[in-house]
Amino acid sequence: MRLYFNRIARSASATLEGLAVTLSWVFRRPCTVQWPDKIDKPLEETLPERFRGILEVEVRVCTGCQACERTCPIGCILVRTERNAQTKERFITGFAIDAAKCMYCGLCVEACPTGAIRHTTQFAGATTDLGRLVLRYVPEGTRVVPYKPSAEPPAGLAPRGSLAAAHLRQCFPDTKEGAR
Amino acid sequence: MPAELKDLAQLREMALPIAGETMVNMGPQHPSTHGVLNFLLVTDGEVMHRAIPHVGYLHRGMEKLAEEVPYHGYMPFTDRLDYLAAMSANQGYAMAVEKLLGCGVPPRAEWLRLIACELNRIASHLVATGTMAMDLGAFTPFIHWLREREVINDLTEALCGSRLTYHYLRIGGVGYDLPAGFADRTLRWLDHFEPMIDEFDRLISHNEIFVARLANVSPIGAAMAIDYGLVGPNLRASGVDWDLRRDLAYSVYPECQFEVPLGRGYRGVVGDCYDRFVVRVLEIRESCRLLRQAFERLPEGEIQAKVGRKLKLPAGEAYARVEAPRGEMGFYLVSDGGESPYRLKVRTGSFSAMSIIEALSHGLMIADLVALIGSLDVIAPEVDR
Amino acid sequence: MWELVRTVAGQGPVPWYYGAAAALLSAGVLLGFASAFAGLASFVERRIAARMMSRVGPNRVGPQGLFQFMADGIKLITKEDLFPEGHDPILFRIAPYFVFAGMLGTFVALPFSARLIAADLNVGVLYVVAITSLVVVGIILGGWSSNSKWALFGGLRSAAQIVSYEIPVGMAILCVVLLTGGLSTQSIIAAQGGMPWNWFACHSPFAAMAFVVYLIAALAEGNRTPFDLPEAESELVAGYCTEYSGFRFVVFFFAEWANLWIMSAIATVCFLGGWRIPLVSVAETYAHGYWVALGCLVFAGKTLALVFVVIQVRWTLPRLRLDQMMAVCWKYLIPIAFVAVLGTMTWMVLLPWDSALGKALRGVVFLATLGLLGHLARRTVATYRADAAHYSRMAGQSLWYAPWRLP
Repeated sequence: MRLYFNRIARSASATLEGLAVTLSWVFRRPCTVQWPDKIDKPLEETLPERFRGILEVEVRVCTGCQACERTCPIGCILVRTERNAQTKERFITGFAIDAAKCMYCGLCVEACPTGAIRHTTQFAGATTDLGRLVLRYVPEGTRVVPYKPSAEPPAGLAPRGSLAAAHLRQCFPDTKEGAR
Repeated sequence: MPAELKDLAQLREMALPIAGETMVNMGPQHPSTHGVLNFLLVTDGEVMHRAIPHVGYLHRGMEKLAEEVPYHGYMPFTDRLDYLAAMSANQGYAMAVEKLLGCGVPPRAEWLRLIACELNRIASHLVATGTMAMDLGAFTPFIHWLREREVINDLTEALCGSRLTYHYLRIGGVGYDLPAGFADRTLRWLDHFEPMIDEFDRLISHNEIFVARLANVSPIGAAMAIDYGLVGPNLRASGVDWDLRRDLAYSVYPECQFEVPLGRGYRGVVGDCYDRFVVRVLEIRESCRLLRQAFERLPEGEIQAKVGRKLKLPAGEAYARVEAPRGEMGFYLVSDGGESPYRLKVRTGSFSAMSIIEALSHGLMIADLVALIGSLDVIAPEVDR
Repeated sequence: MWELVRTVAGQGPVPWYYGAAAALLSAGVLLGFASAFAGLASFVERRIAARMMSRVGPNRVGPQGLFQFMADGIKLITKEDLFPEGHDPILFRIAPYFVFAGMLGTFVALPFSARLIAADLNVGVLYVVAITSLVVVGIILGGWSSNSKWALFGGLRSAAQIVSYEIPVGMAILCVVLLTGGLSTQSIIAAQGGMPWNWFACHSPFAAMAFVVYLIAALAEGNRTPFDLPEAESELVAGYCTEYSGFRFVVFFFAEWANLWIMSAIATVCFLGGWRIPLVSVAETYAHGYWVALGCLVFAGKTLALVFVVIQVRWTLPRLRLDQMMAVCWKYLIPIAFVAVLGTMTWMVLLPWDSALGKALRGVVFLATLGLLGHLARRTVATYRADAAHYSRMAGQSLWYAPWRLP
């Protein structure tokens, strides 16, 4: 009998406590970040330095050692080199990263001796065609001279994130984001 | 039942319903199963007679993949063995490789590992307790917990660059050192979070309806828990005092002070669903204690031992166990001297938890089945790997 | 509504077409109101629920997300009209309309203000309780005609739940009827006073108990959490409306949202004094147009306050299992409702409405309710304060965010 009234009393007080908690939340600041409509600056600029976003390659400081390609456990990097038989010169003719396959582990970045391949804070790569997520950092038909680590770094290197942003625009060609 | 693999058709044949029973498929896609799990329920409409788990929908061949990928390269894969307990999975794998390699881990790295694993444990238990509440109809506590978990995600993002698949622990240590202000940020969050656990208790843990849904539902006795190989909070809720962090004393856990919460029949019987829930909430509090101790005692030093870029382990085998949020995670590594493991076998807590569901299902109502699965904290990628 | 007909038709017998036109007009107005409320209630619930969960809620479709319900409605209407295999062709189609009729029919007897009532039936509340039973027919038909075992089970369980909880609803309203001496909704309101201590909810502890019993039972009637097992989990799918899609599904859920208004409105009429304005007598309210308008606002305000409570309860409490739900009804609510009825009768005999002791005790009950609300407010403030300092240290901004601020 006492258990009966006990249960009623406990239910009532527990419900009241719960109502007090939810009511207090109505007065608290919501934690929603209304992206992309109501943010001060693009989210890419607020992410921490170490954020492992979409990869980019500054090919001008790439030595063509293919360490990243060998280290990648998933095989999403393809570096093509060409050797001129007479002049014994090596060229980088292709550097493709499949951003869809990449698992953003960072092993390639750690393997790179010069920091040519690096993570950016770019994360927006939603697209309707998976093929558009293959980012080719050496344009078709061009040949890049590999960087020699002893030499001076070339001037005017692209800031971190700009190359990836430029390449990711191919993901949404027909939308207004493509023009962003 | 003979121990062979059965496909869905064979399972259905074996459990053909008799008159008055219906077989329904609690299919791979379902709002209340945590991940891609399938149950064949034989029920008479009100009460279940059997619930046969059917697993394998999330099998990705992780153990076979280990044989193809070099040792360093497999670490990101261990993140995905249990995405909510990625740090612990990393640690288990790293410990197995380090055992075979015979290399030690610098003290600072061990403490950083502890910080990472305990932060991860809090995040995992937040999801576990939150989804339990959500399965029972209380959506608000789950969202509150996700809000706290977002801060943990932000912390790990600052620490290692990723919010879920961390790839933070490496063979021989950890991958990154603490960024500037990390300790301060985490401690300020802990100051905010610990009272939030009290608020969560007031909102849902002590709610009569919640207790009535969970207390006395599917009690698992200590003997049954050990027979079925339950581990982690499931085992401790049944009253068995076993925690690898204290009893196996790996990493720097012996230097810390923490309690191991046990199920005591808080509002019902020892080992019922409510005990499993309360044990997880208490473990969150203990992890907060551990984190504070770790930040106080963090020594200076290196963060990773010198291991080569290309690892070739000597032939042999090693078994390493860690206390993941879902219980013991065991990594059995066999090496034949090459660059990749010869065989890697992962033993996870959710697999045993799936197996006990059938034994408990007789006489359970379907609403109770949902509570049971939630309380056992089954995660599909752990079950199927 | 009948007054309007009288003013148009004058004295004497009223031709049938005046009555028919009035009926159609009032049905149209009420349908429009019910639709508008159902849509806006779904939107407002999502916004309120979001703030309780530290979120923002839908705010992109239209100004501050106001057109969200229209977008949802358009989406549901343009869906394919599915028919399950083996369904019963007639019953499947008419089932939603039973539920709809059961819900819309109650609007007729709701007194929006002194002269604003579609039909002042002299069996007002009895009619309301009876017509809501029509919903059960719709649910059973929906479950049966879907040709699915699970829909049938869900439908039967939901029907059992609604039928069981009609008893506490009826008995709580019986207390009010005893106090009024009549069944007409306007007379119930007239029997209460304008000031809060003259409402029936504060009449005696037994009437207060009846109020609480009514609220809980009305939640169950409306399939709202904590009693929403039929629609949330029942047999793993959506219960009786599993096989419905598109517009038919809209009709089922339209009924649920409009039911929010109905359950709160009946509670307001019976227990919270309806449209009674403090310090203004019934006769004066009937006499002047501005009092009628104010009465309408008072009624809407009280009803919306109860709607807010219902919404808040949904997002606070978990779900009861079906057998626990039945236990709550038969073992807790019905005995308490019995006690409430007997107690009210005793109280009425011993302490008449106008006696000094009666007034004093009404004041005591009113103060006790205020005390309860004050306790709730104190706990709310304490919960907020427990977090405010730590949060602002952690996040660098203040925790306070006004509820009316639209992000």
